[in-house]
Amino acid sequence: MKCLLFAWALLLPSLSMAASLQPLSAADVPALLKPPARGERIIALWALDCAYCESNLQALDKLQHAHPDDIELVVVATDSMEQRDAIQARLHAMKMDAHPNLAYAEASPERINFLLDPRWGGETPRVLLIRADGSRLGISGALTPAELHKLR
Amino acid sequence: MRHLLIALLCLLSPALLAHDGMHMEMPKGPELGASAAFDSHGRLWLVDAADGHVRLRHSDDDGATLSTPVQVNPVAERIYAEGENRPKIAFGAHDEIYVSWSQPRAKPWTGFVRFARSLDHGSHFSTPLTVHHDRAEITHRFDALAVDGHGRIVLAWIDKRDVIAATARHQPYLGAAVYYSWSSDGGASFSAERKLIDQSCECCRIALARTPNGEIAAFFRSIYGDNIRDHAYAVLHTDGQTSHAERATFSEWQIAGCPHHGPGLAIGRDGTRHAVWYEAKERPTIWYGQLDPGHAPKHPLAIAAAGASHADVAMHGREVWIAWNQVNAGGYALMLRHSADNGAHFDAAREIASSPGAVASPQLLLKRDRAFVAWNTAAGFRLIGVPR
Repeated sequence: MKCLLFAWALLLPSLSMAASLQPLSAADVPALLKPPARGERIIALWALDCAYCESNLQALDKLQHAHPDDIELVVVATDSMEQRDAIQARLHAMKMDAHPNLAYAEASPERINFLLDPRWGGETPRVLLIRADGSRLGISGALTPAELHKLR
Repeated sequence: MRHLLIALLCLLSPALLAHDGMHMEMPKGPELGASAAFDSHGRLWLVDAADGHVRLRHSDDDGATLSTPVQVNPVAERIYAEGENRPKIAFGAHDEIYVSWSQPRAKPWTGFVRFARSLDHGSHFSTPLTVHHDRAEITHRFDALAVDGHGRIVLAWIDKRDVIAATARHQPYLGAAVYYSWSSDGGASFSAERKLIDQSCECCRIALARTPNGEIAAFFRSIYGDNIRDHAYAVLHTDGQTSHAERATFSEWQIAGCPHHGPGLAIGRDGTRHAVWYEAKERPTIWYGQLDPGHAPKHPLAIAAAGASHADVAMHGREVWIAWNQVNAGGYALMLRHSADNGAHFDAAREIASSPGAVASPQLLLKRDRAFVAWNTAAGFRLIGVPR
């Protein structure tokens, strides 16, 4: 089995990578914003051109691992899906590729920004927290320990 | 086994091949980052990037038809052509064409500022040169280009050499620096770069405008205290005087992050510094104000709120125009506000164009006394005359 997997990996490297990153279009936004059945969903927005995003993502990764049953972490790149290769390479380097990963399926991001959160102007990193009771919290910039505490 | 598999995936991934600096990392269609300008004869010129080339087109019918593209750089290279980081165009006194752009290097957040000129109305371009003398593979990008009253070509950009040096010394340093350089020989060569300011924002475009005495002034997002991302104003002296940046907005927006949202500047003959900028301390807001460096701007006005982005400003006589992108249910609207009294009052916002698909930042242009908005959209480039 391992050998088979190995051969498959050799044959289909790009496909196996591509499977992890999904496009986020305007039509997909309502489903992403729907309150989770329990706990909370953390939508972590990042960009290739954001030097503050990696540490933020890693803090959220740690938080999710501490509460695996209560926190659903969805990682969303605000860069266009056309930059798939660069996004996937960075996700891999940041060890964030195990989480559900999305990238914007529009060349200019403002529309999806607005649909996700009208109180957000597109600055990254941005965290959007959606609780099971439907309440939301948005935080821009690298999370401080106090802000991280507010998420959980 | 698992580690080996991951290692193999890394080796074989096209994503990583794209990062070795030899392979182009090309999106499917041209990116939308573009710049346009009218020359002294009223011909419109447009630069954008496609397939590793900055391409130049012109129009003699106010954008209705565009010429066949001319390649500015004959040898393909990577080119930033996104919202805040797009190729630039400016003209000399005799319509010499000056073009600059930022070239991504292999590592993330790196770039070189590039420049080429044409002395024959775009038929031929000089071999592109790298403007800064520092050749470290770090950020020198978000180039801004202007020509001063003496014909000197001024380029300013965001530069990370100081943050890298500080980090190596284990010293704190927020953001990046702004450096600038100029050419006194029509773009054949550039002076050694000078640092304008340390610890400014690392991801927002720099706005340049000519002052009444012909110098070039810069307005850009800086950093004050603990990541307060307000804006600074400075005249970029090219005569040996030291340039000083002064804080010019006092919004107090604190964010350890990347706003990707730079300001706009237009300076009147009377010296009035008409400015637009974005902040989101309470909620996303685009502001207009008249800069009074060292003090809060005069005549501040919240121009637009949620869903508004990337405003530009232009002025002629006592008329002032502000244009921006506004998200709406159908896609994007191009919005405009106008003042007939030098910015003391503005009329209500009105939609002057719309696009169902993606759009780039709007750019206000003047042809004599007439205002236009250059708007690059997924459906093509548009030049929209501002209704009188």
